[in-house]
Amino acid sequence: MKKYILFLIALTALTACLDEHPKGQLTEEEAYGTGTTLYFNTISTLYNYIGGYEESQGLQGTYRGVYDYNTFTTDEAMLPTRGGDWYDGGFWQGLYLHRWTAADLPLYATWTYLYKVVGLCNHSLALLEQYGSLLTARELQVCRAEVRSLRALYYYYLMDLFGNVPLCTADMEATEQVVQSGRSAVFRFVVNELEEAIPFLYPQESQREGYYYGKITLPVAYFLMAKLALNTEVYSDDNWTDGQRPDGKNIFFEVDGQRLNAWETTVAYCQKLADFGYRLEEDYTANFAIGNENSNENIFTIPMDKTLYTNWFRNLFRSRHYNHGAALGMDAENGTSATLSTVRTFGYGTPDIDRRYGYNFYSDTVLVDGNKVYLDNGEALVYRPLEVRLDLTGSRYEKTAGARMSKYEIDRTAYNDGWLQSNDIVLFRYGDALLMAAEAKVRNGQDGSYELNLIRSRAGMPDREATLDTLLDERLMELMWEGWRRQDLIRFGRFTAAYDERPQLPNEASGYTTVFPIPSKVLDLNKNLHQNPGYE
Amino acid sequence: MTNAVQRIGCWLLGLTSCATGFAQTFTDGLPQDTLKTRLGSGSVDKVTQDRMNKGLVTNPLEALNGQAAGVNVTTGGSNPMAMLNSVRVRGTTSLTGGNDPLVIIDGVSSDLATLSSIYPADIESFNILKNAAETAQYGSRGASGVIEVTTKKGSGSQFHISYDGNIGMQHTYKNIEMLNAAQYIRTAQQLGTDYNNGGYDTDFPQSITRTGWVQNHHVAFSGGTDDSNYRASIGFMDNRTVIRNNAYQNFVAKLDLSQKAFDDRMTIDMGVFGSSQTNKDIFDEWKLFYSAASQNPTFGTAPNASGGWDKNSTASQINPPQALLREKNDTKYLNFNTHLRLQLRLTDDLRLTGFGSYSYSSQENAQFCPTWVWAQGQAARGEQKSEDWLGNVSLDYGHTWGDHRIDVLLFGEYQKRRNTGFWTLVKGFTSNEFTYHNLGAGSIRPYGGTGSSYEDPSLGSVMGSVSYALMDRYKLTVSTRADGSSMVGDNHTWGIFPSVSAEWNAKAESFLKDISWLSQLQVRTGYGRSGNLGGISSYNSLKLLQQNGVVSVFGSPAVTMGVTRNDNPDLKWETRSTFNVGTDWGFFHNRLLLTAEYYYSKTTDMLYLYDVPVPPFPYDKLLANLGSMSNSGLEVGVSFTPIRKKQMELNINVNLSWQKNKLISLSGDYNGTQMTAADITNIGSLNGAGFHGGNNNIVYQIVGQPLGVFYLPHCTGLTRNEDGSYRYEIADLNGDGTVSIDDEGDRYIAGQATPKMTLGSNIGFRYKNIDISLQMNGAFGHKIYNGTSLTYMNMSSFPDYNVMKGAPERNIKDQTATDYWLESGDYLNFDYLTVGWNVPLRRSKYISSLRLSCSVNNLGTLTGYSGLTPMINSYVVNSTLGIDDKRSYPVYRSYSIGFSIQF
Repeated sequence: MKKYILFLIALTALTACLDEHPKGQLTEEEAYGTGTTLYFNTISTLYNYIGGYEESQGLQGTYRGVYDYNTFTTDEAMLPTRGGDWYDGGFWQGLYLHRWTAADLPLYATWTYLYKVVGLCNHSLALLEQYGSLLTARELQVCRAEVRSLRALYYYYLMDLFGNVPLCTADMEATEQVVQSGRSAVFRFVVNELEEAIPFLYPQESQREGYYYGKITLPVAYFLMAKLALNTEVYSDDNWTDGQRPDGKNIFFEVDGQRLNAWETTVAYCQKLADFGYRLEEDYTANFAIGNENSNENIFTIPMDKTLYTNWFRNLFRSRHYNHGAALGMDAENGTSATLSTVRTFGYGTPDIDRRYGYNFYSDTVLVDGNKVYLDNGEALVYRPLEVRLDLTGSRYEKTAGARMSKYEIDRTAYNDGWLQSNDIVLFRYGDALLMAAEAKVRNGQDGSYELNLIRSRAGMPDREATLDTLLDERLMELMWEGWRRQDLIRFGRFTAAYDERPQLPNEASGYTTVFPIPSKVLDLNKNLHQNPGYE
Repeated sequence: MTNAVQRIGCWLLGLTSCATGFAQTFTDGLPQDTLKTRLGSGSVDKVTQDRMNKGLVTNPLEALNGQAAGVNVTTGGSNPMAMLNSVRVRGTTSLTGGNDPLVIIDGVSSDLATLSSIYPADIESFNILKNAAETAQYGSRGASGVIEVTTKKGSGSQFHISYDGNIGMQHTYKNIEMLNAAQYIRTAQQLGTDYNNGGYDTDFPQSITRTGWVQNHHVAFSGGTDDSNYRASIGFMDNRTVIRNNAYQNFVAKLDLSQKAFDDRMTIDMGVFGSSQTNKDIFDEWKLFYSAASQNPTFGTAPNASGGWDKNSTASQINPPQALLREKNDTKYLNFNTHLRLQLRLTDDLRLTGFGSYSYSSQENAQFCPTWVWAQGQAARGEQKSEDWLGNVSLDYGHTWGDHRIDVLLFGEYQKRRNTGFWTLVKGFTSNEFTYHNLGAGSIRPYGGTGSSYEDPSLGSVMGSVSYALMDRYKLTVSTRADGSSMVGDNHTWGIFPSVSAEWNAKAESFLKDISWLSQLQVRTGYGRSGNLGGISSYNSLKLLQQNGVVSVFGSPAVTMGVTRNDNPDLKWETRSTFNVGTDWGFFHNRLLLTAEYYYSKTTDMLYLYDVPVPPFPYDKLLANLGSMSNSGLEVGVSFTPIRKKQMELNINVNLSWQKNKLISLSGDYNGTQMTAADITNIGSLNGAGFHGGNNNIVYQIVGQPLGVFYLPHCTGLTRNEDGSYRYEIADLNGDGTVSIDDEGDRYIAGQATPKMTLGSNIGFRYKNIDISLQMNGAFGHKIYNGTSLTYMNMSSFPDYNVMKGAPERNIKDQTATDYWLESGDYLNFDYLTVGWNVPLRRSKYISSLRLSCSVNNLGTLTGYSGLTPMINSYVVNSTLGIDDKRSYPVYRSYSIGFSIQF
């Protein structure tokens, strides 16, 4: 007995000495102590995740994430296998051939990345409620609108990629309350959220350095609304494998008190961007130059500064040949190439080659500082656009086949082999908005040639009549390497068709591949959720 | 009984029967001698100096390898430093950490890194605590076993001075064989592919090696009076390994004082220990060995005209090996420890002991990557410091009434640690001359490259134990320890770790007393619980914000704070319950000794980063206590002395241990939420050109299986391609008509990565003053994935990457990971052979002993494994477990001579 009493006394005395005193991390009280720190640590903190510096993180610039799933799954570009390089267990070939599965870890990583940002947005919204007394009522509304718009952006990507996804809007709901929503319900949610946020968003440009740099501002929401409206037929369709789609002419939005159909809505939001002052840069390449924060065309970018920020842009590094990189003083991975159909669409090898071919690709003999680049065997490096194949192993041009990515000005002072560059990564730009408006008009039975030819004449190319076919080609040439191709092909009904080396999969005509499977790990962890049709 | 046999007896029977023969030693403040006599119903395996490995020993852990059943020291593909993190006592018991045994050096809790800095000759003994009753005494830190190290102290009053040392040479006798220049060119020409011809013929794997040198020197002296004594020693170890630029150096100094006072009622002991170790490690072992093997053999080793090396333009995964050797990864370890023990004998039965210690350790790391390897170069410096204060008080009481003896112990301890660190990394060098000595010469200081850290965990303990013995035949001990940690959740601060054990000395019974051929018979059993917090680090249970990046806020860049993980305020102790039963037999005056021990343990509330659903969680992992795992095994020791004469003696010792591990569950109800981890989780995969992403997973953790099993597609054979090359034909194991090698596809469990049985054996022979000792270690029942051969036999990466001899003939153009390259890992290694001569000194006045010896370490390996060496990591569960993936050291043998003299 005595022993136990001693024991208890000792325990009590010792417990008092068993506290920790973190000095390198903040408690919530410390992190949200003033209005300013509340803003820093609930809102600004979220912008760290737009770009990324790890695989599958960020909307663009890293590998095996949103961008790759929107690009290498299409007829725009591929990562051909080159002997020992780029086989990677068949991952890249699988993307091109649409042979992804629910078990693919990068797909799960992409899902968890997008929902991480959603979850952190929900948490920030809860914190804004909890610590709202630090802000004025108006400030609180503005803050909420910004976070809700950001969350809407991520639900837009989730719905676009995965179709039927769970809609969580509260901070840390119980798992059993997490149930799947139909794609159309998520679409409506995103539209409503943006519509409610728009009156409170900063009416400022986001692409410029300064107070609003990189933020979700009013024009960013306008652009997103235009995108949503343009894809209404796809997003409103909860049964995408039945071969039928709702008609955009019969789906209505309210814009400034007017009831507009999906196509009119697209045009209206594109017009708002024009009214806001966005216009085409005279020089296409100015949008991708080192100083592209001064572009009047870019709307939403991932801010990049080689000394300040950490986000990666590895897309150029991944594409160019090793010796091409060496000539620039950087490493390279000799990978990404344009497909055959892409270089043909540009008119490569014909007298009518599109001017943008030269902006978007390194092709044929490569010059760095006016000098040829040499291979180790002494021959000059010549990229061969027409020799590209999905598996180049053992072929004569194993290492040199394919037109390579250019587009962004090479920042010769960039760090980390060019991953840390100062050119901002372009997510949304006005050129796209013009093509969206042109397409919406055509789909609404109107003439979209004016907008189309604004784009073409800027590129120095002759006018074309706006048809769905010319528009799809134009989108490829104008928006090459910008991560829109999958969405475009789906909207145009071409994603599931065979192209180049890609045969149509069995049953693919149903359209089941237009969304990715819900990752199997997600289904394992939440039995409420079910697999998308065609992947069961 | 001769000394030698008594020694073996101690080894086999545990300390119990021998404890009286040793000077009083203390561990962790517990008066261990009394504890042993009372709680001794376990199998405390004591490795004294006689039993430590001979030959070329550069690290105390090397001295232990193969000497104790159930203790596995991994040599990590021959890398001499790899063993630092690779000691396992009775296998792996936790998924997240804390699998290293607790190391207690002269009563001070420590770690393997500190142990490795001690000079082997300063060590008196290792006590390996494996069983429930002993490990439970260490409560929350005992789950993975305990290695108690007792260092040498002064004894007696006579003055002694001694020197011992050895010098050795290390020589590579087996290295990977790739195509030479002529074969390379001929193969490329036959295939009709473009290739680069640099005009040289270089054996790159050999070009990065050299003759290694080892020298160890140690001087110790001791003396004193009847009431006080001291011992002081200084040691120096120097090892230039067989890989260029890879070297280790260590200086140690040690001083111990002891004073008795007040009619021997009080004893004061003080000890000071310091070491300064310099490691020159290979920056990236995998990259170096992979590059050396795969580099185009027609290239040369000399630098180019500008004094550097050009990067490979076609083989992006590798670099010129000579440029990689210019990388630096140097670490300076400083250790300082001092402790003071005050012991008061209050009455003949009651003793009060107070103990305090202070330890300081720092680790200063400096790294450099030249521009030839990393564009723009990179250099980094960093320092981790740890300060540790420990104090404890114990009161023990023991009394005998006739046939009854009772012992009681009360013990309280408090330990506080402060870990701090900082690091800086810069890039953008225009010169490679500075290496890491001028960080100012780098133009870029990237975000995240500079930082500092602070942690202050603390641990409090109280313990009580009662032991009762009857007629020296029956013993029963009950003890309870309570540990409180600052790192667990506030509502789980205390973990309670009870144990009970019993022992029966059957030989003392009247019905056995007179059986002359049976000299010993003991039976013992115990049950106890211990804890593990290795999976938790400071502040894990707190909801804290960390910087999560730098963004533009209000027009200027700002570092924001954010939530960077899911927090879990309910984190608690991982618990391991162990049951063991053992018996010791001695026959024919102990010329044949047998010991056997069975144990079963179960780890519950297992800490793991469980998968949680996203959404609603923002992050996909949550550190929590949920699953369970079991370990069981049988350890058998045999000691046989066929010859025991005055002139000649032969001893044969064998220890065998069978281990079985099973991951029982990784899912369940956690605080009302169903939580799970995937039943099948990849833990190890292959790397290198063409291996990134995709299905290169090899070793998995699968619920219901041992940790670390090979889960692979089955290759039915080689199939000829149209172009005449071959590929691995994969079986449709699930019979769904298509072959898929996803984790969920056509895979099967093809074997386990950890040995089912390990063996340690020593044969000692003495003829007059000459003695010979041969040590053999082996492991059986496990497999090794030969990723090295899979890679180097793949002709589709040729000629960018060189291939192995024989690859052109086989003409396999495939590197799909199947069971084709899964091989048996069974081996028997001849660790060393030592021949010693104790020089007879008939008339020397001053010299009391003189010994000369010569040794060969790593004589050879008997194995069917086709790779470089089967002695890869087969014990430590991490990404390299069971996978030989281009990272093995070339296999080397050491020849050394030793000299020791005592005055």
